[in-house]
Amino acid sequence: MVSILRVLKNIRQGGIKQWWRNMQYIGDAKHGRLVGTDSLGNKYFENYNPYEEVPGRQRWVDYSQDDFNASHIYSEWHAWLHHIRTEAPTDEAMKKYTPNWKAPYCENITGTRGRSITYSTTAPKIRAWEPVVKKREGSVSA
Amino acid sequence: MASLLVPGLRSGNASRIQRAFSPVAARSFYTSQIAQKPHTPTSAVNSADSSPSTTTNQMALAQAGSNQLSLETPQNGAEYVLSTMDKVVNWARQGSMWPMTFGLACCAVEMMHMAAARYDQDRLGVVFRASPRQSDIMIVAGTLTNKMAPALRKVYDQMPEPRWVISMGSCANGGGYYHYSYSVVRGCDRIVPVDIYVPGCPPTAEALLYGMLQLQRKMRRNRRSVLWYRR
Repeated sequence: MVSILRVLKNIRQGGIKQWWRNMQYIGDAKHGRLVGTDSLGNKYFENYNPYEEVPGRQRWVDYSQDDFNASHIYSEWHAWLHHIRTEAPTDEAMKKYTPNWKAPYCENITGTRGRSITYSTTAPKIRAWEPVVKKREGSVSA
Repeated sequence: MASLLVPGLRSGNASRIQRAFSPVAARSFYTSQIAQKPHTPTSAVNSADSSPSTTTNQMALAQAGSNQLSLETPQNGAEYVLSTMDKVVNWARQGSMWPMTFGLACCAVEMMHMAAARYDQDRLGVVFRASPRQSDIMIVAGTLTNKMAPALRKVYDQMPEPRWVISMGSCANGGGYYHYSYSVVRGCDRIVPVDIYVPGCPPTAEALLYGMLQLQRKMRRNRRSVLWYRR
């Protein structure tokens, strides 16, 4: 948990630079074993020392994006972060099981031009009245 | 954007007829291309590099014709000041999102869970307000019936600008389970403009909180004064 000793120890182990980055993005002076880095540049850590991290904070990610959100990691790594899978998904493990129904990775594109736009597939029940004006016959200028 | 400042298109009444018939006027508004310069955008969506996250079809679609990266890249001193002001405004808005609770059905229970200890919306500055005049977000949680629709619209009209709407759950998104009922509005976006749709029946509190974070991302993208300056 948060204590001055833990913070000082983690600064000594990880260095000032990593401590500053963690304080900016995670808000806690965390330090742990670097488990892996995915192709998006995110770094994944874990620390199972019970005197340093409480359960629930033992695995974490250091996002490569400045404005990050939870969709910036692969689903396999999401499973690892949330203790759905035990082993970290290395590249070989991710290639080993690739079902054909699996869609390619895409981050959340809410609010961009690629967003989902609803549409109706049923025929409209109301038909608007479109008046047709008949052309006048005969000459106006007598 | 400079292409919109064509002389003759923006000055005087004499060009009004010309504007109506010139091919330039028929062009859509967002015409600028993505700036291909090294830059750290606020989202991977806006970056124009060749990383795997930007080479899929959806990402290409998300970037096509968008001028968001151009808006977030100041081109002169005035735009630098204005975009910084925009960022301050965005920071203030996303730090105190006060949702108006419009709990209509079981989704409201999950909305309460977002306020409770586990997901703890207060750490993001999200505080439920009972009055629409003091809130800037409305969370439509649950089935919107025909009888409730005028009340929803009235509450939305009472909220001060700027205001956002989060549609929570299948029923609010598009009718959901009650889509074919005679008494249910098929989606609350028929009544009010919706910013974030949270899918689920009901969505988990985690999903709703993620929707709030997506709304924060939408607020962060706001560059209103830069847009005003460039027009």
